[in-house]
Amino acid sequence: MDLGLNIASAGMLAEQVQEDQLSNDLANASTPGYKPESSVQQSFGQLLLYNTSNGQAVGSIATGVEVSKGVTDLVQGPLQPTGQPLDFAITGSGFFAVQTPNGVQYTRDGRFSRNTQGLLVNQFGDTVLSPNGNPIRVGASGTVPPSALGVFNVRNPSQLGNNNFSGTAAGLAAGTVQQGQLEGSGINAIQAMVKMEAALNAYTAGQRTIGTISQTMQESASTVARIL
Amino acid sequence: MLEGLYSAAAGMEAQQTQLDAISNDVANADTPGYQAEKIGFQDLLYTTDNALPSSAIVGAGAAASTVGFSQAQGTLQQTGNPLDLAIAGNGYFQVRMPGGTTALTRNGSFQLNAQGQITTSTGMEMVPPITVPKGTRPDQISVGPDGTVSVANRRIGRLRVVEVPAPDKLLPQGKSVFVATAASGAPRPVRGASVQQGFLEQSNVDLNVALTTMVSAQQGYSMDSRAISFESQLGQIAATLK
Repeated sequence: MDLGLNIASAGMLAEQVQEDQLSNDLANASTPGYKPESSVQQSFGQLLLYNTSNGQAVGSIATGVEVSKGVTDLVQGPLQPTGQPLDFAITGSGFFAVQTPNGVQYTRDGRFSRNTQGLLVNQFGDTVLSPNGNPIRVGASGTVPPSALGVFNVRNPSQLGNNNFSGTAAGLAAGTVQQGQLEGSGINAIQAMVKMEAALNAYTAGQRTIGTISQTMQESASTVARIL
Repeated sequence: MLEGLYSAAAGMEAQQTQLDAISNDVANADTPGYQAEKIGFQDLLYTTDNALPSSAIVGAGAAASTVGFSQAQGTLQQTGNPLDLAIAGNGYFQVRMPGGTTALTRNGSFQLNAQGQITTSTGMEMVPPITVPKGTRPDQISVGPDGTVSVANRRIGRLRVVEVPAPDKLLPQGKSVFVATAASGAPRPVRGASVQQGFLEQSNVDLNVALTTMVSAQQGYSMDSRAISFESQLGQIAATLK
């Protein structure tokens, strides 16, 4: 089997992952506090080639590309004023904490409201936590001072869906809370479009490479067959 | 393979929900007491492909749903009509829907029916009902800031202005009428609100915000459709491999 075929198909797979992630970014163009996902590509280990007759090393050959890890770009999203007293946004680092049925999770989506117990909750009914990790009571005026909301540093944040992140809290963060505003999605639509185009081109190149290799293999198969 | 097709399609559906809500808001920009819809977007589940290291995740798109109704005070417009009532502050008038269910509305464009009852413009009577004596002209009716209704200085009843603990969870019934749910909590008398006679509260839809949001939703929609076309090209290219 030709090594080139594997290299080209590995490249196409990596581009496919990129394209899927970019599609998801664009789908979340209006999701408050969404952070773009991307993947880091790295080359597979190189193979050292040896001369079969005398065992001498003749150099190395690359074996293609793989997705080595995912990266969440924690870029600051644009602030959008909404005028709603229970909408909050964080400028700078940190996350709001919400108490979900699956434990404490973190979010940059500050679209909150009041539940029947008078507590501050997110759109899924999970209570928002104060700097001390307690639920927050909405005052008689129907509002909450921004300082009542906890903004936490989170180690290894990873998006879970429902605008929440998993991760481990590591103390309070430096970000400040803005009232009456929401943080928009962190995606850059133009950049995402350009990246989709680029990934498509790289994907096409992979396909052409496979076509070329397969042609040469066909050629050698038929020519060698004719000689024999 | 090609998860992106579905995540982009989910994104289009979410933007469509936003567009529908804005169309409704804009259509009701002149409906007294109308409260603008609040749409919440969320990202969906993330998966890791078996072929990928676990830290690289691919999301399944986005969804949008109504998360509540703006409680912002609408502008009070003076009409001089004694049966036009506006609530300054939080809360709702309590009315009875045709089926008998108690409902809540901020649309204070009231009228008298043939029985002398104060009703909404769609004929829903108040809870508790308020009936003025036969032959009362609307201009003889006076309504105090606390909702007390009097005719010729004689007190005949009181309009109840109520609120619920979690107004975002009220269930809309159309015609700017809501019913309380378990999640919203039961209605209770409101504090700090007053009834203004001769005024109507305008819709609290902010047209500037609505139109800006509409443009951005349309852009989101068309970008998602571009993403679908990219993904479909990937599929076509993969299909021509030989």
